[in-house]
Amino acid sequence: MKRSPAEDELIQSLSPSKFSAQGFLGHDTRPVDEIISADQRKLDRLGISINTLVDSLKAVYQQAQQAYGAEIQITPGVFVAFYESRGRVPSPFKTDGVFEKGEAVAREKETGQHIIITELGIALIERHHFFQGLGSRYRMDPEVAVRLLGLSSFKEGKP
Amino acid sequence: MLNAIFISVGFLAACGGFLAAVLVVAEKKILNYGPCTLDINAGERELIVDGGSTLLSALAENSIFIPSACGGRGSCAYCKLKVLEGAGFVGPVEEPHLTPEELETGIRLSCQVKIRNDLKIEIPKELFAVKHFRAKLIGKEMLTYDIAGLRMELIEPQTIDFVAGQYIQLESEEYKSRESVMRAYSISSVPSDNRHIELMIRKVPEGICTTWVFDYLQEGKDLYFSGPYGEFHLSETDAPIIFIASGSGMAPIWSIIQRMVEKGIQRNAVYFFGALSQKDLFYADELNQIVDSSEWFQFVPSLLQEPEDSDWQGERGLITDVVKRYFPDTFAHEAYLCGSPGMINACISVLTEGGMPEEKIYYDKFA
Repeated sequence: MKRSPAEDELIQSLSPSKFSAQGFLGHDTRPVDEIISADQRKLDRLGISINTLVDSLKAVYQQAQQAYGAEIQITPGVFVAFYESRGRVPSPFKTDGVFEKGEAVAREKETGQHIIITELGIALIERHHFFQGLGSRYRMDPEVAVRLLGLSSFKEGKP
Repeated sequence: MLNAIFISVGFLAACGGFLAAVLVVAEKKILNYGPCTLDINAGERELIVDGGSTLLSALAENSIFIPSACGGRGSCAYCKLKVLEGAGFVGPVEEPHLTPEELETGIRLSCQVKIRNDLKIEIPKELFAVKHFRAKLIGKEMLTYDIAGLRMELIEPQTIDFVAGQYIQLESEEYKSRESVMRAYSISSVPSDNRHIELMIRKVPEGICTTWVFDYLQEGKDLYFSGPYGEFHLSETDAPIIFIASGSGMAPIWSIIQRMVEKGIQRNAVYFFGALSQKDLFYADELNQIVDSSEWFQFVPSLLQEPEDSDWQGERGLITDVVKRYFPDTFAHEAYLCGSPGMINACISVLTEGGMPEEKIYYDKFA
């Protein structure tokens, strides 16, 4: 199906650029709204809201940042370490502004499964429900994120 | 039949070319704003520039280089300037990058301000000293497993005038379909060596510029950069000093310390360097040499994840805890910090808890 000019512009913004070597779509060829819908359905099945996930990501990011590169445990078997770097990176959604560089890598020791948490990545989820395309280095798959952050046993509105 | 196709295609191409020519002429005639005056710093300097260009490019054409990392696309927000008069409305590209306070005081992204009439602008004085340089890489060494030290000899211009603590914007080359980018790195060499500059560059996973530096850049290659930029430098007081910087954040601090040695500035100074383990330490010999040959300087590295049974005899733990232990009272000191915003904020917290006024804390935040 032919894309609209607005969609074309969005795809261009999400593609590799001066600020992002890989861009935000990875090798995903699905339309952006399909990527967003599919990830939202995953979250719905898990019974976790965007707000709960975002709060948890922010908390882990801050914890990691304050440890200055040391590895700290966030849930049983899952550790996070922060990697700082100089500069800022603009959001591909032009109205969002720019964000600090630096990444918190949360990794499960046994499986090696990990997510890379960045300020920009959190903002993309919070403001646009966009978890990034399959194959993007900074994609935080909802199922993986919920599991690594220990939210699996947390159900919205349930004791 | 073929002739008909060729004639049709030729006719369409000719129409397209004609329309393009009409657009170019129209732009030159209708959108020709003529010469415009840039009044810089209340008459300190005046430039006559062609209307129609952006403020950023007009200044660059007059050898005034405003920092920019995005090539004028309104993405990086590095090119902020105060425009007192004549800028026009703030567009949707600029707005997300400007706070209400900035908008109120006339701060604009100079890459988005199109010159349509005379402008009154303010430019920080240090930007007048910024130049574009061509240099040759004459040394590349691994300081640690993820930090490279570069040494460059200047070719054109042959010398650079900078203050210890400032930074440059290095231009990477295109490689593997990655376009050229500009990235900021603090100068780690001493200003008196004005034929060379040195940098400390830490590898960023998937980073465009650092991947080029680590995997493609070789000695003998020409490099391009602009600078110097930045307001981070040693004050001219006699106050004792606390330096805090880790990893490649050492660069401006090392430049400042070397200058202090060179100029005989003997203010009491302690440099706290945080690292995970011994493999993250570098320049320890050079810093300890200064410790041994002076009475005013102390170097305190602290390791966070060094194995308990190792031969390490130095401090262990978070660098902010070590600073607090050495200086529970910081009232009389000045502090010079370099690192990520998170690290800077934590240090500021510790230092102000010890009584240091915030205005005595100088920092170069990575962001």
